[in-house]
Amino acid sequence: MTVAVNDAGPTLATAAVRAPTERGRRARRLRRWKETGALGIAVLVLIWTLVPVYNIFMVSLESKGDVFTETIWPARPSLDSFWIVITQGYWYLEEFWHQFANSFYIGVGTVFFTLVIGSLASFAIGRMRVRYGWLLSNMALLTYVIPASFLAIPFYRIMQIYGLTNNLWSVIAAEVTFATPYAIFIFQQYGVSIPIELDEAARIDGASPFQVYWKIYLPLMAPALVAVGTYALLLAWNEYLYQFLLLSSKHSMSVPVALAQFLNSDEAPWNYMMATAIVYAIPPVAIYYVFRRRMSAGLTMGGVKG
Amino acid sequence: MSTETLDGAELLVRSRPPLQRIWRGGLQGSEYAWAVAFTVPYIALFLAFVAYPVAFGAWLGHEPGLYAELAEDPIYQRTIVNTILYVGIGVNLKMFGALLLSGFFMRRGWWVKALLLVFVLPWAMPALPSFISIHWMLNGEWGLLNNFLWTVFGINGPGWLDTSRWLALGAVITSHIWKWMPFWTVILLAGRMAIPQELYEAAEVDGATGMTRFTHVTFPLLANLYLVCTLLSTIFTLGDFNSVYFVSGGGPALSTHVLATLGIRDAFEVARPELGVAAVLTALPLMIPLVLILMRKLRTTEVTL
Amino acid sequence: MSTLGRRSVLRGSAGLAAAGAFASPYIANAQARTVSVLWVQGFVKEEDEAFKNLVAAYEKTSGNRIEFSLIPFGPAMQKIVAGLTSGDTPDIMFHDIADQAVVPQNTWNDKLVDVTDVVETQKVHFHPTALLASSYYNNVTKRRGYTYVPIKCAVLPFHVWNSMVEKAGFKLADAPGTWDAFWDFFKPMQKKLRETQRNVYVHGLQPTTNGPADGNNTFHHFLIANGGNDIVTPDGQGHLDDPKVREAVIKSLGYITTSYKEGYVPPGALSWSDADDNNAFHAKQIVMDLDGTISTEVAMFHDKEKYNDAITLKLPNDNAGQPMRAELGAAGAFIAKSAKNVAAAKDFLKYVIQPDNVNLYLKTGLGRWLPPMPHLVQQDPFWLKEDPHRTAYATEAMIDPTVPNYPCFNPGYAEVNAQQIWGIAVADIVKDGMTVQAAADKALKRIGTILAKYPVARS
Repeated sequence: MTVAVNDAGPTLATAAVRAPTERGRRARRLRRWKETGALGIAVLVLIWTLVPVYNIFMVSLESKGDVFTETIWPARPSLDSFWIVITQGYWYLEEFWHQFANSFYIGVGTVFFTLVIGSLASFAIGRMRVRYGWLLSNMALLTYVIPASFLAIPFYRIMQIYGLTNNLWSVIAAEVTFATPYAIFIFQQYGVSIPIELDEAARIDGASPFQVYWKIYLPLMAPALVAVGTYALLLAWNEYLYQFLLLSSKHSMSVPVALAQFLNSDEAPWNYMMATAIVYAIPPVAIYYVFRRRMSAGLTMGGVKG
Repeated sequence: MSTETLDGAELLVRSRPPLQRIWRGGLQGSEYAWAVAFTVPYIALFLAFVAYPVAFGAWLGHEPGLYAELAEDPIYQRTIVNTILYVGIGVNLKMFGALLLSGFFMRRGWWVKALLLVFVLPWAMPALPSFISIHWMLNGEWGLLNNFLWTVFGINGPGWLDTSRWLALGAVITSHIWKWMPFWTVILLAGRMAIPQELYEAAEVDGATGMTRFTHVTFPLLANLYLVCTLLSTIFTLGDFNSVYFVSGGGPALSTHVLATLGIRDAFEVARPELGVAAVLTALPLMIPLVLILMRKLRTTEVTL
Repeated sequence: MSTLGRRSVLRGSAGLAAAGAFASPYIANAQARTVSVLWVQGFVKEEDEAFKNLVAAYEKTSGNRIEFSLIPFGPAMQKIVAGLTSGDTPDIMFHDIADQAVVPQNTWNDKLVDVTDVVETQKVHFHPTALLASSYYNNVTKRRGYTYVPIKCAVLPFHVWNSMVEKAGFKLADAPGTWDAFWDFFKPMQKKLRETQRNVYVHGLQPTTNGPADGNNTFHHFLIANGGNDIVTPDGQGHLDDPKVREAVIKSLGYITTSYKEGYVPPGALSWSDADDNNAFHAKQIVMDLDGTISTEVAMFHDKEKYNDAITLKLPNDNAGQPMRAELGAAGAFIAKSAKNVAAAKDFLKYVIQPDNVNLYLKTGLGRWLPPMPHLVQQDPFWLKEDPHRTAYATEAMIDPTVPNYPCFNPGYAEVNAQQIWGIAVADIVKDGMTVQAAADKALKRIGTILAKYPVARS
């Protein structure tokens, strides 16, 4: 994700000193064409990316009736919908902040357990080299590649057996299940860069494996922990299917499930729905932008899940 | 995989004596106790939330009658075709687009960087509102797209999701690409940036520019990454529920379902969970080889994505 | 603990006294129990408030505790389905479309508790159609029995924008009194309305395959209007070879698809989900809509101008000129055999269906749903006198002739609904160019295959 493109200087400089030969002119013309082409692509990419986003904003700024009109921009833009969301001024949204907190708990819980379980397991596999470590990594890999939606139906019933339906823990369990394999994968890759001699030295000084884990392994793994943590947070925040299946009462819902309520009704104030969606999208987008450099490790194969 | 296991075993054998020597503070027994303690949470998680549901799912869908029933269901037959098209077209267009765009984002200039930040937005945003927004945008009567066509060109646009299976499926595939292409672009971009600049310089000395530079330097080095990404993306796309469910909803006339959505539909709308599980399980013949190839690839090659 | 116990005993006896005061034999428990209840969240806030009031009143009189969760329509169905298959259920489950989606199959499989004693308490009061919708065929015992307690009813009335009809130069009072002619009445308006509005359609027809009920309900009304009501009879037998039924299917598919092809129906209606027709109506993109309950109007309750501009109409006569039978949906509650607290659950249900309680509950919910008891509708001016929308709606449901949903007769029909056979038949014609006859035969054949899986013994 770190797009460091710093070597523009020398190329331009060499181009400038070059004599204006026929070849140079042609090259310059070619370059100008290329620049124009690049700009064209950029405009296309921008439109492609932003049109659905624009639609979300447009709907959220319109009044309910205007959503169904033939306009391509809000006729009377207003921030009323956002005010309604923030003040929980509509029936479906009367527990919005509570639901927001639920999403937050799910996110934090998922991050915490993913990091704990993932780091413990990868410490055992990578640093202590348990005998069947390869089996564990394969298990992780296997979980990682099973699409989450394929497990949804049995998972739902398993949760009933565990007595965890309509309980935030069930969602946390589901998200941790799908985030941990990725965590193990990344931790193992990152862990290779930490010299094993550090552990050995500590052991000679009489440290227990747990002390090695706590005092040496974890601090040195900090960047990977941040990357995986961000990943797990985004996963839990954006996931829909499991939260929808596992949470149902208004009080235990997370925001994505509450959003889907709007699709359930005879009367649909979709402007409120989209305003809610925007408020809800702010944290993940912000977190992504804040941690995007750190996520260069994290932004590997993991982010697709869910 | 077998070579890999051997490697692991070798490693263990090699490292055992010094470890034993070093870990003298505790007995060997306690060392293993620690190791077991460290791995127990993950093993428990795996057994409780992966192995058990998988076994349970297999048990739910074990009756052969279910598969006979599926086979004669016209909706299921369509679903299979849709799934193949969705995955086949969706994944390849997406990955190829990502490959090209990752090259584009190698360009210099602040605006390219800024564009990249905007471009990843679909990926960072929650899926549900994005797809619902696309669903509305494509509404035949008041959707943004048709309003635009009407206001600007005076054209009555079609009902994108309303009448034609192929238009609707196309819309679903496009939405899927919109959501996931940024992610793979970033991955491939990271892959491109990892290619040492000297290789390009050397190639330039040999007279390779433009296309030849790509075919002789970039692609051979990216090929493995590209393959792994494509395999991964295939598996995930196979399980993608949101794009179909929220963009077309399986409509019109249940003609655009894919296995992931049909499973949920059969389980909860038709109220037959075992049928839903069976529908999903029929993807296994496609899934298992993919998973095996992928696991092999990931273990035998150093693909630091 | 002891005080609690004593207090609940006191409450219990208070409840007993209260029960004695009522004519209906509702028996409170001497010992406080907790009943877990899954109830569907309302479409307007008032419905939920009404339920909470009902629960509070019951808790006060009985001393029992009701632990309820109000769950949106869609997820509620999932919980119910999953709960019933895994055997872990709340004591009481309630769903708006339980009569056509879960109760038939689960009674068939002998998974539900017999609630005859609950239904008996109000048997004299229940509407005959609601009563018909509360008994289902059990394939284990090979007999029909009460497994469902109807609590609220709904039919599909017409919703029409009076101002649009007038703008097109027509008067709603002139609308013909038979089914096809009534629909035809709107067709000429489209041209006139299109002069000032681009995307306007006169027919709010919903041949949709999305959403649980709208598409099927729409088709069934056409089927009934064309004399095809006997497709499944109360004895659970399908009559798919009956030429009368086949002809009705062909006529119905013919009318719907012709109207669609001629452009009187919004093209998107093929995949409308629950809210889409209401939205189109509210946005005045359709002149009229045939849709269940009066939620369309209730949603505009606070916008008096629109509320009064919308007209609710009961159904015209069928195409043979006879009074048309409306499909009466019975929303209600049932108890799974896996329930832990059957006695207390039944007690709560008996309380709920006491006429005064059910009436108050539904009135507080703005009258979107009707009590399943005609005497309430006739005695309480709220239903027939105070509001023109409710008058038309309540008349159609409680006074005019009705039929229950077909799954009540044969659980196979629930699967027919879930497979959206009729919506697919419409799509076959308008999308894939199949002839009406071919689509009708294909649908009937498929229904035959499905019903064959559920042989109901003739008694």
